[in-house]
Amino acid sequence: MSVFKDPSRFTRLVVVLGIKNLKLKYKNSIFGFLWGMFNPIIYLVIFSFVFGNMFSEIDRYPLYVLSGLLLWTLFTTTSVQIIESITRNTGVIKSVSIPNIALPLGGLYSSIVSFLLMLIPFSVMMAIFGMRIGWEILLFVPLVVLFSIFTFGVSLILTAFNVYFRDVQIAWASFMPAIFYATPIAYTPEIIPEKFRIIIQLNPIHHYVSFLRDLIYYNRMPDAFSWLVVVAISVVSMWAGMTIFNKLKGGFISQF
Amino acid sequence: MAAESDIVIEARDLHVSFTVQKQGIKSIKSFLLSMGFQSPFEKKPVLKGVNLKVKKGECLAVMGRNGCGKSTLLRAVAGIMTPTSGSLEVKGRVAPLMTLGVGFEMELTGRENIELVGTLMGFTKDQLQDSINNIILFSELTDAEIDMQMKRYSSGMISRLAFSIAAANTPDVLIVDEALAVGDLGFREKCAERIKQIKSEGTTIMYVSHHLDEIKNICTRAIFMEEGVVTAEGSVDEICEYYTHHVKPTSTELHG
Repeated sequence: MSVFKDPSRFTRLVVVLGIKNLKLKYKNSIFGFLWGMFNPIIYLVIFSFVFGNMFSEIDRYPLYVLSGLLLWTLFTTTSVQIIESITRNTGVIKSVSIPNIALPLGGLYSSIVSFLLMLIPFSVMMAIFGMRIGWEILLFVPLVVLFSIFTFGVSLILTAFNVYFRDVQIAWASFMPAIFYATPIAYTPEIIPEKFRIIIQLNPIHHYVSFLRDLIYYNRMPDAFSWLVVVAISVVSMWAGMTIFNKLKGGFISQF
Repeated sequence: MAAESDIVIEARDLHVSFTVQKQGIKSIKSFLLSMGFQSPFEKKPVLKGVNLKVKKGECLAVMGRNGCGKSTLLRAVAGIMTPTSGSLEVKGRVAPLMTLGVGFEMELTGRENIELVGTLMGFTKDQLQDSINNIILFSELTDAEIDMQMKRYSSGMISRLAFSIAAANTPDVLIVDEALAVGDLGFREKCAERIKQIKSEGTTIMYVSHHLDEIKNICTRAIFMEEGVVTAEGSVDEICEYYTHHVKPTSTELHG
């Protein structure tokens, strides 16, 4: 099966794989996707209690944190879901002729569906903590699309290297908390000393988070430069991900 | 001689290699130090110049000792592995029956797995809908069993369902890799019958097996492979004879 010769069959393959991931995730659980909500709530509670007084100058602090957690949750669930998509399906790679990219795409599909479901409790919480809705909210859709493209590119790189060196998966699990604290989710970039602020600027996730904050926290249109930055990061990430994945996929079967 | 148009599978000087890591941490170090220019991988050739022509409707037995490249040849024909050099042409839809049970998710029901594995094998939604009843009928699973999670299946039931999905549609080329040593005697005979039926519908078959009876029963021609090349070609009886002479001596060395 080829992606380009048979697009409808390929799309269906991705959807079926995505639905399988969702079923496996929630099959034997009672509360299903609500557990995905649990983690951000814990973070929210911790930050509100621990940092709430420290950041009392931040208006509507829980909303500020939630807007960051929203994208962070999408980033972690997607990368964790995709990183094992090849190594967990060695039999499929060895025995069936499908485009390998269908497996990570199936992971992306299921993470996005989970994310859409999580938007419901997230919006309720954000409404409680004083979110105001303006026309800017319409830009939420393109932002999520761009952020998913960025996340998918990063995940493809991790997935491809993870086939050869399983250390990648272990290292990624250890690195994620570090990336979390290196992203201004629970704090504002301004509290970072001037000379270290470059680290924040080099963190791609920060740019998406601040774009989202423009939309739902500051209620203003992101400026042209913000647009340029998020589009550029998404394009570069996707390009790098596809290039590396395509270069390494030929050797996947030799590893199983 | 058959007309050129009757040739369904043609390999000319076909080479297929595995990509394996150079051993040891040193190679990763030199890979990183050379910024990716010095590859940490090396190629391990498996097929070293295979020439092969298979005509429409033929059933070709592929014989040889373990590790001689039989499965790799089948994977190349099925499009699962790509040739490193030489040419390989295969006309029509190929159905690989490499390892039975690949792609099954034990947490899901038999019915859900028919959809999953059928889609992996390239069935469209319509094709699946048309054949799902035949698949269930052929597998001899009851209605209660088919809606049960597959982790409650016996290994024989899993194999039966796997074969039923794989053999549901009549492909142009069927590839069988020692897949039939499954189930009880009754079901094995039923599988052999189904393969004969597929053959009678004009499907070209490549068949790997170590059971001479099975080969004599189904195949019309045979090749013998040693260390990645075809070393003998002829009628089933000739090659079975050749195989017996070639493979037996080493097995007696063990006792002597």
